[in-house]
Amino acid sequence: MDFDLENPLGNFHDLPCDAVPSLFLIESDHIPPPNYCQSLKASDFDISVRRDVVSLISQLSCTFDPVLPYLAINYLDRFLANQGILQPKPWANKLLAVSCFSLAAKMLKTEYSATDVQVLMNHGDGGAIFETQTIQRMEGIVLGALQWRMRSITPFSFIPFFVNLFRLKDPALRQVLKDRASEIILKSQREIKVLEFKPSTVAASALLYASHELFPFQYPCFLRAISDCSYINKETVVQCYNVIQDIAREEYESVLNINSTSDTPVNVLDEHFLSLESEKTNGTNVVVTQEQDFKRRKTTDYGNNRRVPFSHFHQC
Amino acid sequence: MEKTGVLSAKEAFEKLEKVGEGTYGKVYRAREKATGKIVALKKTRLHEDEEGVPPTTLREVSILRMLSRDPHVVRLMDVKQGQNKEGKTVLYLVFEYMDTDLKKFIRSFRQSGETIPPHIIKVILSICPSIFNIRFFFVHLFLSIWLQSLMYQLCKGVAFCHGHGILHRDLKPHNLLMDRKTMMLKIADLGLARAFTVPIKKYTHEILTLWYRAPEVLLGATHYSMAVDMWSVGCIFAELVTKQALFPGDSELQQLLHIFRLLGTPNEDVWPGVSKLMNWHEYPQWNPQSLSTAVPSLDELGLDLLSQMLKYEPSKRISAKKAMEHVYFDDLDKRHL
Repeated sequence: MDFDLENPLGNFHDLPCDAVPSLFLIESDHIPPPNYCQSLKASDFDISVRRDVVSLISQLSCTFDPVLPYLAINYLDRFLANQGILQPKPWANKLLAVSCFSLAAKMLKTEYSATDVQVLMNHGDGGAIFETQTIQRMEGIVLGALQWRMRSITPFSFIPFFVNLFRLKDPALRQVLKDRASEIILKSQREIKVLEFKPSTVAASALLYASHELFPFQYPCFLRAISDCSYINKETVVQCYNVIQDIAREEYESVLNINSTSDTPVNVLDEHFLSLESEKTNGTNVVVTQEQDFKRRKTTDYGNNRRVPFSHFHQC
Repeated sequence: MEKTGVLSAKEAFEKLEKVGEGTYGKVYRAREKATGKIVALKKTRLHEDEEGVPPTTLREVSILRMLSRDPHVVRLMDVKQGQNKEGKTVLYLVFEYMDTDLKKFIRSFRQSGETIPPHIIKVILSICPSIFNIRFFFVHLFLSIWLQSLMYQLCKGVAFCHGHGILHRDLKPHNLLMDRKTMMLKIADLGLARAFTVPIKKYTHEILTLWYRAPEVLLGATHYSMAVDMWSVGCIFAELVTKQALFPGDSELQQLLHIFRLLGTPNEDVWPGVSKLMNWHEYPQWNPQSLSTAVPSLDELGLDLLSQMLKYEPSKRISAKKAMEHVYFDDLDKRHL
């Protein structure tokens, strides 16, 4: 048995859209149940616990492929949906974060340093150092709760399929689009609102948003390609697109707030940052693509671990 | 945090008999005490080190769980972790139980004597109905009816695996499980589950995996594609008709020579790139023979489908999905498949 876990739809490059990609049929098996989002909203405490664990996972994963934290957070959500939030203790949150991270790393065959994990987890807290057996026991509990369905179908799984529909011929442009969509997907996972949508819907919406940013004149073509795909519900994509747009706007507003003491008028500042982002995004991705051409024979979809400088600025 | 009421694997199942053993563990026919359901219980000890559940095990169990939703892949119903007497972690894979496999099924028909083509049976029956032994007649009629159904189910199961980017790479009658009552066929021995295959050395006259192996694999191709499984499907198709293996080689070289004698020795014209494969040598030059010489009782449509499964060039070989759409299956009632 052999499979490309990260690009399961890769074999459909030459098939028309009406081939039946199996992932569309089973993606619902690999996301939290529909009522999970509602039960989270009903409790501020639950939301804060999730936010804490998501933050821990992000710290653990910041140097890895974006699929890794996404997968780990998917495990977290599915686990919480199954088990509920039982342990309102910082050490339990850390143990859960480490276990989800570790399982995701195993699924992706990613090697990591257990020592680095320990150091990160102990930062700001003099206490808990987890025994290996403790983590293994917690992994077993997570596996049982998720019924060993660990090959989660993430939005990343669908990106190559949709990008293929867009018929962008330039590999560099395709990569730019994929990278930006991946960044949007990763950022949006932190918001509870996105949990209501299926991975394929999130992927389609993120790609549309990225294409609107990067290729506004071709956007109508892309929109039509997505709308024509029989596995996608257009209305749901519109809803998801709006949620993603709101999240992206919050990103801009955060940046603007940091500079609110500036003497520059707001509208001028807004224009400045938009053009700055556009310029840096293009530059960064072009460099990355060239670098990939030199270093690798085969380009992986998510080999680019870099964030655009704009995002880094936001995170400061 | 362990849920109360969840039974350990030992408590939940009653082992009835051991039905297999391999490098990694044992296979039991067992009964689930709570439901009385018969299952195949596959027990394996995890080779733990610091990493807990090994990544390979985790990945492959996850794949089996995902594939289990298709009716033509044997269903992994549950996974349970337990501990053995020495305190080591043990994994129990709980599969649906199937009472036979295609290998046994074919063998049971082999003992019925020579094959008579279905259309000949119909003609003779219409002329002299009393001539034939009833059992003999129904055995062959039975098989000819089910041939299409079994092949369709096989293509469907393989298409499902391939639709998830998963190759089997070891398709053969032994790991195609069957339910005699419903004539349902299911693919088994994917990944970790394959570890439970009975060791080859217990079979004295058969090398299990060679007979169904694609020529590009035998010639040392390093990049497999889904086509390797379709070659195996073609070999199984022919064997279902003739009840004998199509290419019964007893070494890799003999396996290749069996193939070349029937399909002709490949060259750069029929298979671009073949002479650059790692294990390529000079071979005796045979001309291709008609497939009907090897599978004389298969009708024209079946021969066409078979020929597309046995294309030398992997990229030209028919896919499982396209095979399902082939006209050979047009008159098959697919509503329950």
